[in-house]
Amino acid sequence: MPLFGHEKIPAPDSKIHDGAINGPAGVLSGRTPTESEGADQGDGTAIIRINHLSKVFASKTKTVIAVNDVSFEVKRGEIFGLLGANGAGKSTLIRILTTLLSPTSGQAFVDNYDITRDPEKIREIIGVCAQNYTSDLELTAYDNLEFYGKLENVPDSILPDRIMELLKMAGLTDRAYMPVGTFSGGMKRKLEIVRAFIHRPLILFLDEPTIGLDPEARREVWQQIMMLNKEHTTIILTTHYMDEAEKLCGRIAFVERGSLIALDTMENLRKLIPAGDLIEIGVDHMDPLAEEAIRNVNLVNAVSVVEHKVIISATNGSQVIPAILAVFDKYAVPIISISIRSPSLEDIFIYLTGKGLDSSNGDGNDAPGTGRRQPR
Amino acid sequence: MPIMLRGALAIFKRDFKKFLSNPFIIMMTLIMPIMYLVIFGSAMGGTLTHIPVGVVQEVPPYNDTPLFTSATYQLNHIGQTDFANKLLDVTVYADENVAKQDLDNGKLSAVIVFPSSVSNDNAVRVYVDSSDSVTPPIIEAAVDQVMLGLGARNPILVDKIYGNIQYLQFFGVGVIMMAIFTSTMFGGGIALIKDRENGIHEGYLVTPVKRSSIIFGIISSGTVRAFIAGFTIFWIDLLITGITLQSFQDFLLVLLVILIACIGVTSLVVSFASRFASQQEYSSVIAFFNLILFMTSGAFYPVIGMPGWLRWITIINPEYYGVHALRSIILRNQGLNVIGMDLIALLIFSTAMIILGIVTYRRTLE
Repeated sequence: MPLFGHEKIPAPDSKIHDGAINGPAGVLSGRTPTESEGADQGDGTAIIRINHLSKVFASKTKTVIAVNDVSFEVKRGEIFGLLGANGAGKSTLIRILTTLLSPTSGQAFVDNYDITRDPEKIREIIGVCAQNYTSDLELTAYDNLEFYGKLENVPDSILPDRIMELLKMAGLTDRAYMPVGTFSGGMKRKLEIVRAFIHRPLILFLDEPTIGLDPEARREVWQQIMMLNKEHTTIILTTHYMDEAEKLCGRIAFVERGSLIALDTMENLRKLIPAGDLIEIGVDHMDPLAEEAIRNVNLVNAVSVVEHKVIISATNGSQVIPAILAVFDKYAVPIISISIRSPSLEDIFIYLTGKGLDSSNGDGNDAPGTGRRQPR
Repeated sequence: MPIMLRGALAIFKRDFKKFLSNPFIIMMTLIMPIMYLVIFGSAMGGTLTHIPVGVVQEVPPYNDTPLFTSATYQLNHIGQTDFANKLLDVTVYADENVAKQDLDNGKLSAVIVFPSSVSNDNAVRVYVDSSDSVTPPIIEAAVDQVMLGLGARNPILVDKIYGNIQYLQFFGVGVIMMAIFTSTMFGGGIALIKDRENGIHEGYLVTPVKRSSIIFGIISSGTVRAFIAGFTIFWIDLLITGITLQSFQDFLLVLLVILIACIGVTSLVVSFASRFASQQEYSSVIAFFNLILFMTSGAFYPVIGMPGWLRWITIINPEYYGVHALRSIILRNQGLNVIGMDLIALLIFSTAMIILGIVTYRRTLE
């Protein structure tokens, strides 16, 4: 998501805004209103049920509660997002659901199979793209896919065609017979993703699928994910990229230090944050008097200045803008750019946790709000 | 210079920290030379004791002559300050043919046939199992010594029943087993550990693939690799030592033994690989096993020369059975009747190891 992006999503309880006002150096990046809203939200029945699940890693020196009493359901056919900072427990949760780890306590069911009793049944219906690369670097892309096709019981009669289809999807057709070790990070990642659904699984787990990908590759992966979802694959996705979750996920769960802190649709999550809109005004230099004056404008809730940017939180952004512009005019502060957006997932996340998503979860001494979005 | 030292110090510190953080490797590096000392020392330098020999008296007469009685008694009591360490275990046979048959089947190391009387014309015939190049001279010396002690001047005729076999030929057969083991060190299951080290296993552990499939697959691949190594070394061994096989059937039997020995050794190695997470730890354990199994296999030195506690290891050592079976075929031209037990032992061993490998394989990341 661009820093000066135009972000406005029509919400039932707010008026539709016309979009951004572009300053002299205004950067406008359009975003068609939420693909996620148009995405299949599922038929409502639960395909994954998690009841009071916990996972504790104990060593001689330290005990870490990676997953702490988590309960939720994933609906059949939806794209479900697990969001959290590094080390929040997302991957542990995925590993429990994909039978790689057993829970310390609690229960989980994947398509009605108990994860501790029927791991074999679950392995037959899931596809997993792990966070780290799991392809064999010494083998070619084709050989890797063939290996997994055989392990996933794809019939030999259709396997070669399926492999070529997947390679085409990943844009790796011309690299089919080259060792994966010679691939770039993005190529490896794409191979991993297509490999995860070689057997057309019922449920697809994607653990940080676009980590390390360039913007174009990310968009391709997103398209693949949406396409698979249209074919009724339930997708569980972990990410710490807000834009990814906003773009893809029907429902989003925030995970923080192993606990679930919020779970809802993007729309409903947005309601959690009190301020209506965020107005960002680019300036060369901000006059403290002007800042004080803006604070006194009706409907403005908060004002902060970060480097060359004035961030104003207002209940009804577009109505307040004329009054704010008048203040800038009065104090003769030249405006470089203006953008107005509704709060992003990251704003909500910061509101709920007091810190940004990209900040490390480990030492807990990060300043609130230091998180920076990844440039897109 | 100080900059160079700073860098060197940083490299040193990093390496040393890694060393200290792995007590297992430290332990293995210390144990290896100690094991060399104990096992190599005991297996190679051990004095041969309890060599099984058969004694027969030529007929007629049909009752034991004084020469036979005395010589048998003397042979049975050589080097016996204590009974436990006597040189020869003498069994008295009434029929020369029965004794020779036991020699053929490997139950005896030699058969000594005494003439009816003390005379310069009647020779003492000594039939020795010459496929073992270490024991025959000892037996000959023992017979010499006893006859001299009795004042009997009978000449001694030594018959090497398998011809003149050099130590090189004796040892060469053992090297085939070594080739098999060495190839399993690199091939048998190390892929499993590499996968684990690089996190690649996470990819296939979420597929429906069964534990038994993983273990069988890796054992099959390891067995084929080991077989290629063993088969190649077998040919090279024949070329270098100049041994010729007696029949095509012997050749087929050799292939069978190599194959079964490969399954046995590979499944042993894989059963370890199924548990280890680090190549370094695994390699040190396998190097240790390589040493102890090869030393006690009888490839270097007859098992009979080993102390009792080492001989116990040979009972569960697949290489011992492999070496024994290969020697029986290649050097002694023996058949299934002799090596059958070796093959059964190898198969039992393999089955146990395959089960162990499957049971201990971790199907999760924990």
